[in-house]
Amino acid sequence: MLIVENLVKQYGDLTAVDNVSFGAEKGKVFGLLGPNGAGKSTAINCISGLLPPTSGHITVGGADIVRQGKEAKRYLGVVPQELAIYEDLPAAENLGYWGMAYGLRGKELQSRVGEVLEHIGLVDRAKDLPKTFSGGMKRRLNFGCGIVHKPELLLLDEPTVGVDPQSRQRLFEMVEAERDAGACVLYTTHYMEEAERLCDSLAIIDHGQLIVTGTVTELKDELQARDVLQLTGEFPDKRIEDVVGALVAGGLSDLELIAEEKGSVTVTLSSASQHLPAIFEAITAEGGRIDETSLRSPNLETLFLLLTGKELRE
Amino acid sequence: MEFLIASFRKDLARWRQDPMAVLLWLGIPFFIGGLITAMVDSGDGTGPTGVLLIHDQDESLLSGFVAGAYSQATPGELITVEQVSLEEGRERINGGDATGFLIIPEGFMAAFLDEEPVTLTLKTNPSQIILPGIIEDVTEILLDLGFYAQALFGPEIDQMQDAETNDVPNDVFAADMAVQIQGKIDTVSPLLFPPAFDVEIVEPPPAEPRPDIALLYLPGIVMMALLFSAQGMSADYWKERETGTLRRLVSTPGLLSLFVYGKALAAAAVIAFLGGVTLFLGFLYHEVSFSKFIPSLVWTTVSGVGLFAWFAALQMLFPNQKAANLLTTILLFPLLMMGGSFFPLDVLPDWIAAIGRLSPNGFVVDRLSTELTSVPDWTFDIKSWGIALIMTVSGLAICTWRLQAGFARR
Repeated sequence: MLIVENLVKQYGDLTAVDNVSFGAEKGKVFGLLGPNGAGKSTAINCISGLLPPTSGHITVGGADIVRQGKEAKRYLGVVPQELAIYEDLPAAENLGYWGMAYGLRGKELQSRVGEVLEHIGLVDRAKDLPKTFSGGMKRRLNFGCGIVHKPELLLLDEPTVGVDPQSRQRLFEMVEAERDAGACVLYTTHYMEEAERLCDSLAIIDHGQLIVTGTVTELKDELQARDVLQLTGEFPDKRIEDVVGALVAGGLSDLELIAEEKGSVTVTLSSASQHLPAIFEAITAEGGRIDETSLRSPNLETLFLLLTGKELRE
Repeated sequence: MEFLIASFRKDLARWRQDPMAVLLWLGIPFFIGGLITAMVDSGDGTGPTGVLLIHDQDESLLSGFVAGAYSQATPGELITVEQVSLEEGRERINGGDATGFLIIPEGFMAAFLDEEPVTLTLKTNPSQIILPGIIEDVTEILLDLGFYAQALFGPEIDQMQDAETNDVPNDVFAADMAVQIQGKIDTVSPLLFPPAFDVEIVEPPPAEPRPDIALLYLPGIVMMALLFSAQGMSADYWKERETGTLRRLVSTPGLLSLFVYGKALAAAAVIAFLGGVTLFLGFLYHEVSFSKFIPSLVWTTVSGVGLFAWFAALQMLFPNQKAANLLTTILLFPLLMMGGSFFPLDVLPDWIAAIGRLSPNGFVVDRLSTELTSVPDWTFDIKSWGIALIMTVSGLAICTWRLQAGFARR
């Protein structure tokens, strides 16, 4: 449904998206993960036709988004990160207007507006102005405006930012419903737990570059069931690599130094909890002091840390 | 096409949700226009009138004739006569509440008939300039008339006086008097009718009909409502951009040009409403022929949409919403001043009026003003309509170009 090939987007000297390629299928949720500023929104803006790519190709339903824009956009439904609704237009008329923008007419439009109002739980507020709605209700209407025409490719750009837990749960259900109805969903987020719950496959992006892509299971396998251990305290300058080397030589063969900053060391190894005494001993023997320990079992967040050496939410 | 209609209906529905803005666009010109009209128009179209207070102590036939003489012919159009008591008359003339106060003393008629001196007292209001002079002139003419009547009909007056004293007037006496008076009139009429000299009255050339000054303000007031609404509605492009709906629109197959035309149609509906109300009331008040109403409304609507489009295009050239609103608002007032909204172009100094007519709104006002005040029927001036249409179409084209060139994508 969606094919992105060698996508590059530059703003002057800044390369926001650097040679990114991936594909997404119908009936699946594809996640685009990365920290803020990684290039996710730029990529999704190129896919939705908002920004022309500097180079590369984007094909939606077989139509090139640049050369066959109008045709490609017929497949698209976009739920932007920020609200994009008319607050001074009743909810039903908002849905009707965006439905018409996508080519729906007459009874089909009326029928879809009714269905979507029910789907997003706003039937009883259909004639009310969105400016009288709560934040969660506005989010749901924002979502509804993106799906009113039954898009085959639904683009969701960080849809849960600033959303309360209850509305977030409702949003997940709506996304799953679209996927179950056969839509291809492209979901960008920097919340790994959302990606783990919703996405069938995903790509991790950082500094505009695609770091890894695959199904959630495949990516977790990349971690090889290793835990991530983060230590904070005081560590002897330039000696921590020696400490890690000594521990590897002493039997912790899968111990790997991920990141080292002033006052913080991150390592990965399997069954980390069992090896904590040995690690502590080695560090203190070299004159270090450990104030705090954080041990995380393998997940996408630790995978990102493993791949980039930094936290996803930095 | 359906998307154009959808965009039109969407914006119209949104404007209906903001009646306060529409009322302000209508209310401010009405308020200013009302003030201006009140200042330049007396309301009933008549000139000022004076009040002559008369205290008639004689209450005779002749004193009644004198009092009535002020209400006749031309003086009657300028002077309202009120019979008052002596106290009221003094109080009102001293208080400046009248133009003049005439006291006709007791024995006035008897003294006149006996050719004895008699004094009429006329006190005039020094704070008024012209009308007291008119009252003085009329009074002097009446006195002159009395003198000539005495000279001409003295014997008849004496006989009438005797008859009244002896209480014997009858039909024969009245007929005899009439014959005598007619005989004297016949005698002098060759001298009086025609007069012994000819007076050639040269009529001045007919002055160009000067339109009602208050009517000259009407096109400017209509334009004020249109300019306020055009500037206000043009800010909607920024509003749509800030709320993200423009970005969402770009990702749909809906054409930006249809979106622009739909927005212009909604603006046209609002402008037609505002123009319709102001023109209707103006036509009613100034008694302008309603045969000009529809062409006037179409003219103001087409031109109003042109102004809206150009304001919108200007708004989209600025880097942020605040600057766009500020600068278009600043632009608004010189346009209003020079374009004939505060002062009609006809009363502005020639060089300012010439510049004003070159401004978009001044051009529209000038045309509307000409059609409303100078010609019996609406003249479909092809050149003016062409300019208005070009202004509108080019403004809309620039709006579309700005949206496509990136304004909608940010």
